Amino acid sequence: MTPIDTSAAPPLLELSGVRAGYGSIEVLHGVNLAVPAGSVVALLGPNGAGKTTTLGVACGLIEPTAGKVLMAGRDVTGVAPEELVRRGVVTIPEGRGIFPNLTVRENLQMVTYGGARLADVEATAYERFPRLGERRKQLAGTMSGGEQQMLAMARGLASNPALLFLDELSMGLAPLVVEELYGIVAQIARSGVSILVIEQFARTVLGVADYAAIMLNGLVRSVGRPADIEDELSAAYLGGQKP
Amino acid sequence: MNEQPERVEQFQAEINSMKVKASGAENESRLLILGIVLAVAGLALAIVGGVQVGGAADALDQQSFLATGSFLGIALIIAGAALFVRYSLARYLRFWLVRLVYESRANTDRIVEAIDRAAHGPE
Repeated sequence: MTPIDTSAAPPLLELSGVRAGYGSIEVLHGVNLAVPAGSVVALLGPNGAGKTTTLGVACGLIEPTAGKVLMAGRDVTGVAPEELVRRGVVTIPEGRGIFPNLTVRENLQMVTYGGARLADVEATAYERFPRLGERRKQLAGTMSGGEQQMLAMARGLASNPALLFLDELSMGLAPLVVEELYGIVAQIARSGVSILVIEQFARTVLGVADYAAIMLNGLVRSVGRPADIEDELSAAYLGGQKP
Repeated sequence: MNEQPERVEQFQAEINSMKVKASGAENESRLLILGIVLAVAGLALAIVGGVQVGGAADALDQQSFLATGSFLGIALIIAGAALFVRYSLARYLRFWLVRLVYESRANTDRIVEAIDRAAHGPE
């Protein structure tokens, strides 16, 4: 197993001994995870493992009860999510979070409240996702699941992220569409954005990830290169013993 | 692995320029403990004040003990209890909210399952 190499520079994101939950219910029992600059890290695990809670802590939506969240080596535990967004931490949430009763263009317009110009936002979005350009006047809720996910990604990318969190990109989508979307994720990664991808359906994401981590019952059980971790996946999901 | 040094450097600079305040969760539990400490200290002070008032023969001494012991003690008990109630209630309500969300989710699942069963008929 190859641990994540953070010797060269402090990782862009590091969770250290993070405990968090909802009220009295603790979900994360000391999570350690690092996302080095310019890499794609996949966080995998079955339903209820604590992946989305980990993401909530990383993007500032959930405050940890113990442990630290470090970004570029600085402790940012407890910093408001909007502060982090302004500095380039972007989350594309599970279920996409688009406005179904607004058109594609109006959805992109929502990003401009952060200060970006609509023309620039549209140019970037349509260049990366030409299909959105064709549907700019269509209501977002009437598009296919894949196109809605593209819109969510386009909106996220419009604010020039340095650190991108993707939660369950594949949810409710056909395998071919998922493959296409992960192709785009690989392109985004090549442009230098550091990405933390959360996935329940692991195989597709392993193709684009530099590192993968398996999460079980609120703890990161193993971290390594995708090729090393693949054998452990079945055991993690089916609850079997490691051979 | 790919690098875009300028964006990473810019991100590092922006993160470093951020003002970070102490964590809210830590503050909350600190204030809860402070509430308990204040209430206990107030109770002790009130008891000491009461005993000293009982032991003092002179009315002026009694008033002085009342002012510094009993009244101050009672004020501390009230302040401490208010802090304790405020923060333990917040915890309790948060837990209650999570419970409600969980119940409503479970309920939705049951309804979806029932509709599904009704749609497909008995197997």
